[in-house]
Amino acid sequence: MASVVRGVYHIEVYRALCKACGLCTAWCPQAVLEPDAEGYPLAPGLANCINCKLCERHCPDFAIEVSLAAVEKRA
Amino acid sequence: MTAPAPPTQLQTSFILREYLRPQMLPSTWCPGCGLGIILSSIAQAVHFRGLAKDQVAMVSGIGCTGRMSGYADFNTLHTTHGRAPAFATGLKLARPELTVITVMGDGDAMSIGGNHLVHAMRRNLGLVAVVVNNSVYGLTGGQLSPTTPVGGHTTTARAGSFERPMNLEALARAAGAAFFARATVNHSFGLTKMVERALSGPGFALVEVISNCHVLYGKMNETPEAAGMMMAMDANTVRSNPTLQRRARLPVRLTDAETPAVPAADARPLAGVQTDTRLRRGVIFERRGRVDYSGRYYAQSAPPGDDEAA
Repeated sequence: MASVVRGVYHIEVYRALCKACGLCTAWCPQAVLEPDAEGYPLAPGLANCINCKLCERHCPDFAIEVSLAAVEKRA
Repeated sequence: MTAPAPPTQLQTSFILREYLRPQMLPSTWCPGCGLGIILSSIAQAVHFRGLAKDQVAMVSGIGCTGRMSGYADFNTLHTTHGRAPAFATGLKLARPELTVITVMGDGDAMSIGGNHLVHAMRRNLGLVAVVVNNSVYGLTGGQLSPTTPVGGHTTTARAGSFERPMNLEALARAAGAAFFARATVNHSFGLTKMVERALSGPGFALVEVISNCHVLYGKMNETPEAAGMMMAMDANTVRSNPTLQRRARLPVRLTDAETPAVPAADARPLAGVQTDTRLRRGVIFERRGRVDYSGRYYAQSAPPGDDEAA
């Protein structure tokens, strides 16, 4: 089977929608997301992201999105 | 070469663009409230069922859950407290081609609207009802609700509730609903599948979703964080299908390391004696056959030739 691809994903946090509830950081299985001083998620470990999308699925405010970095640049 | 697996979830931006009203967001729900997860599950279920959003109507009552119809970009009705099933029944009778989804909270569906819910299930029209059970009256300040578990502390039950919580599963079975499933916001992929199955079948389909109110209920019951309360759902519920219980180790929900182990086989109780007090989640029952009575509500077409004779 193909190994897990890392380092090609982009995590976008819509700050206008985010309420800093901390669910995405709690769900992340690869410690990609860390809360900043105000509780909003940052992605210091973006290189470890495996595109499981658990943060995106469990964001109650539709404020986080994981996509391919290449797609993000083109858009 | 095999065909790629169908997607199990949609991109956030797609949901925002297609199924929500972004100008109404951010929602008024508290940070970490599971209602947003339920809203996205409903949107995904509608998408995966291939329904056009103009053919879907969402009816809601009053409460935190009642606000959901303001954020979803379907045909929406925001109705009076507890009467969402009554409005949905009328809408379904007037426009039988619509897929009507009713969203209610536990106070909305079981306290003030219990009567309407019972009779909607008895009539068994092709409605889908999503009942969000967060064990407490959220919008009005965290009072005791019919689903507060025994021992649960609320603002009006400081020493803990001593009343038995309402069993929606037994009520649905008795009142004649065609489909009943229970999901939690922690097991949200299952939640999407439950709503999908509810949308696909005939008759009245009821989906009870266990949600979190960490702000009002959790802070009085030692789970003040949304993530901690979702974690507790893993221990408080058990899969209804025993053959699927082994899959519970998959990392698709938050799991507490302290989750009690499944009892050994020799500890199995007598048949028919239920000792496990955990709520079962999954599809609980489904009636097959002709369960949708909506055809009886329309006048029989006149026999041919009557118009000319009259």
